[in-house]
Amino acid sequence: MDQKYIRNFCIIAHIDHGKSTLADRILEMTDTVQQRDMKNQLLDDMELERERGITIKLNAVQLSYHSKDGHDYLFNLIDTPGHVDFSYEVSRSLAACEGAVLVVDATQGVQAQTLANTYLALDNNLEILPVINKIDMNNAQPDFVKHEIENIIGLDCSEAPMISARTGMNVDQVLEQIVRSIPAPGGDPSAPLQALVFDSFYDPYRGVIALVRIREGSLSVGDKIRFMATGAEYEVLEAGIRNPREVPLRTLGCGDVGWFAASIKSIQDVMVGDTVTSAARPAAEPLEGYRRMNPMVYCGLYPSDAQKYGDLRDALDKLKLNDASLVYEPETSQALGFGFRCGFLGLLHMDVIQERLEREYNLDLIATAPSVIYHCYLSDGTMIAVDNPAKMPDFSKIDHLEEPYVKADIMVPDTYIGAVMDLCQNKRGIYQSMEVIDTGRNMITYELPLSEIIFDFFDRLKSCSKGYASLDYEIIGYRKEDLVRMDILLNGEPVDALSVIVHRGDAYRRGSQITVRLKELIPKQQFEIPVQAAVGGKVIARTNIKSLRKNVLAKCYGGDISRKKKLLEKQKEGKKRMKAVGSVVIPQEAFMAVLSVNDDEG
Amino acid sequence: MMMKDNGIRHLYVHVPFCRTICFYCDFCRTLYREQSASQWLDALEKELFLKDIRVPQETVYIGGGTPTCLVPEQLERLLGMLDGYCGDGCEYTIEVNPETLTEEKADILARHGINRASIGYQTSDPRMLALMNRHHTAGDVRHTMELLRSRGITNLSLDIMYSLPGQTMEDLQESVKDALDMRPSHLSLYSLTIEEHTVFAKRGYQPCDEELEADMYEWIVRTLESAGYEQYEISNFARSGMYSRHNTAYWEYRNFHGISMGASGKASGFRYDNTKDLKEYLLDPLKRETIPLSERDEMFEMVMMGLRMKRGMSLKRFEECFGRSFVSVYEKQLEKLIAQNMLVVTDGTVRCTPEGLEILNTVLEEFLD
Repeated sequence: MDQKYIRNFCIIAHIDHGKSTLADRILEMTDTVQQRDMKNQLLDDMELERERGITIKLNAVQLSYHSKDGHDYLFNLIDTPGHVDFSYEVSRSLAACEGAVLVVDATQGVQAQTLANTYLALDNNLEILPVINKIDMNNAQPDFVKHEIENIIGLDCSEAPMISARTGMNVDQVLEQIVRSIPAPGGDPSAPLQALVFDSFYDPYRGVIALVRIREGSLSVGDKIRFMATGAEYEVLEAGIRNPREVPLRTLGCGDVGWFAASIKSIQDVMVGDTVTSAARPAAEPLEGYRRMNPMVYCGLYPSDAQKYGDLRDALDKLKLNDASLVYEPETSQALGFGFRCGFLGLLHMDVIQERLEREYNLDLIATAPSVIYHCYLSDGTMIAVDNPAKMPDFSKIDHLEEPYVKADIMVPDTYIGAVMDLCQNKRGIYQSMEVIDTGRNMITYELPLSEIIFDFFDRLKSCSKGYASLDYEIIGYRKEDLVRMDILLNGEPVDALSVIVHRGDAYRRGSQITVRLKELIPKQQFEIPVQAAVGGKVIARTNIKSLRKNVLAKCYGGDISRKKKLLEKQKEGKKRMKAVGSVVIPQEAFMAVLSVNDDEG
Repeated sequence: MMMKDNGIRHLYVHVPFCRTICFYCDFCRTLYREQSASQWLDALEKELFLKDIRVPQETVYIGGGTPTCLVPEQLERLLGMLDGYCGDGCEYTIEVNPETLTEEKADILARHGINRASIGYQTSDPRMLALMNRHHTAGDVRHTMELLRSRGITNLSLDIMYSLPGQTMEDLQESVKDALDMRPSHLSLYSLTIEEHTVFAKRGYQPCDEELEADMYEWIVRTLESAGYEQYEISNFARSGMYSRHNTAYWEYRNFHGISMGASGKASGFRYDNTKDLKEYLLDPLKRETIPLSERDEMFEMVMMGLRMKRGMSLKRFEECFGRSFVSVYEKQLEKLIAQNMLVVTDGTVRCTPEGLEILNTVLEEFLD
């Protein structure tokens, strides 16, 4: 098809503003998906996405649309995640598009991620098409929200479609505007091939499948291609588009969004953000990649069953293909054995990766509490980056420690300003500014230690503002703080995987909270277990787990065999997620205990 | 290979009706209505007719629910259907509620050859009884026992519950002493479990703290032993060998018939749960769900039940059922648990040490695959 009839676009929005629902409607209205195959959140094909009702992975699909101007158009729609943790995914999809449909909820208006994603799209020179969604809701304020978008973002909303993605109302206007406002892809079909790899995944039968956007030239089955960053060369065996089923094609033309397979078994050869070119007639320059996101949160992942270490490595390698922001390297813990220190973009990302590893690769994992990267300056002037509290050098050798800070922009209605400021204050936040951005709405800016934000800040922000506050943040650098490492001893033995870095002034309080929490979480065993918190070898808090005295099923009438057995099986299943550390058996949750006590009232 | 067991000699019949519902109860039960109970009896008759139950049975146990909440004619009819299965020396037990047993019903029980009764005593504390939505007093229990004894039914067991919400050690001691004054031949002591869907769970009640519960259990064992009751199973105590033969069949992992809605049964190679829905039962009294058991499952279950008994599990019976010796199947587990002083193997049995018995769940976990 002629390039001028192609439109490549994505849908961006704050989480829950109706992005995936709009994608569902567009799929339906372009007859891409038969009614009988239609289901909600169609593009969220990961089990986890459907369960949580969120988009985690970008997903690309091709649709054909017969416009009112009489022509047939090819739409390449790329669905993207909304949560700040996955903005890497968003920036990848943006790089493959010419335009973005910006969905804003008519009941909630502009939120922090609306802004963040819009700025990402503007950075990528995309044409932005604002759409007001959920206008069928009772509390919708479409005119107010239009006004807000014009005021805050500076986008003209005079022609913004007012839609209900749920009912399909006015979605046809969105389709027409895509045709009219979003530019057709540029590029020269006869130039040497330049294709941007914006995603990839592993298929056990066909090897790595790369998702690409053809910027210049074309790509056909049988072509010899080269990955410009790694230099690896392959012959294209299959190519095609998704609608959302895979449709094989002989050629992907200039401007197209599609996939190809080339029997690539070596996962390392394919890097998301790399450029694919022709081996015979290579392009001079690779395309510009995109902003690489650095992990902000690290934790140790260990197989519950030590034998599964190889399986975990394999699973991480494969997941990495699908999620380039994941980083990991092997580490060893005295308590947990062989595992990996993994870096994530945030806590939700960490949670999702962990769950995907367990579900898609059938692994039982133990995760240690997440940590940020501390900069540790030694007395001899050298600096080492510490991503694992257990690896912190001896304090006698340390001159000082620095921890990462973020600038946090919080958008909040008048009513909740006090609560949000209290929260920030409690999290060691430093007040920067407060701006009135629109009637009744404010942007509060704080500088906060990242370690305080990654744990439960989101949840607490949501609860203290009844869900009305939204957050965006970025790292602004490192600052010197008076930090100490706190060790946790079980039965007299330090457990490296439980060490945490805390503020010196906080150590006593945190130590007591953690030891009490561990006492609750670690099941009674056949002997008494002292639980101690120590800083620099000095014990600052202690509890005791009493020995197990009795656990018989004294209830249950005689013949109730199945109930007895179910209870035992449940008990045994629970133990699977536990790890024997020395003589003590510790449940998975205990390693996260240092987190859950990280609140003020505890 | 399937477990071998020659014929089924034990019969359980579930009476799913109650006059009031106890707030801790999670069994299959429904409020008594005379008409539904009559229809239920019709269905039960049909079920017994359709099932191949060999005569004589060694034990017949009528539980509930509340069997004695049936009106006299219905109780008469129920027993009339079951008498035929009892042979000479059959243990013929019925659960009796102290609220509902009248002279007339006691006469019926005696006439039909009931020779053992298990009475819902629970506690003598009126506060606790009210909390559980039970409407009797300790005096009612005493009266019920007199009614039964005077008619020759002397093998009487009391069910006691402990670790009740808010119960103190002193409360329990008083309750147990009151029970001992009534000189039952058998006692079952169950610690409260808060089951989902019960009123207790909905009201957020908690059993006693674990430490207190363990103290209570140890006090019970000490006190009953010194009062001349032998602890022959974790929760069961008997004077001069008056063990519950029916329950012993469960602990020896014998096959048994489960009759009526809400009952469970066990045959070689499977267990089954009868429907819990009265309407469904009336339409099809054979409606049930079966749970197939592998040989490995049956081996584990025999161990799980057998180790509850003080005397332990018979090695000979295990070998007869499975054609392999217990020691050869569970060599690794045995070695570990014997070293930890949790189990002993002597006199052709494997049994828990007193320490092992208290943490039986931990011991059994080793045997689960």
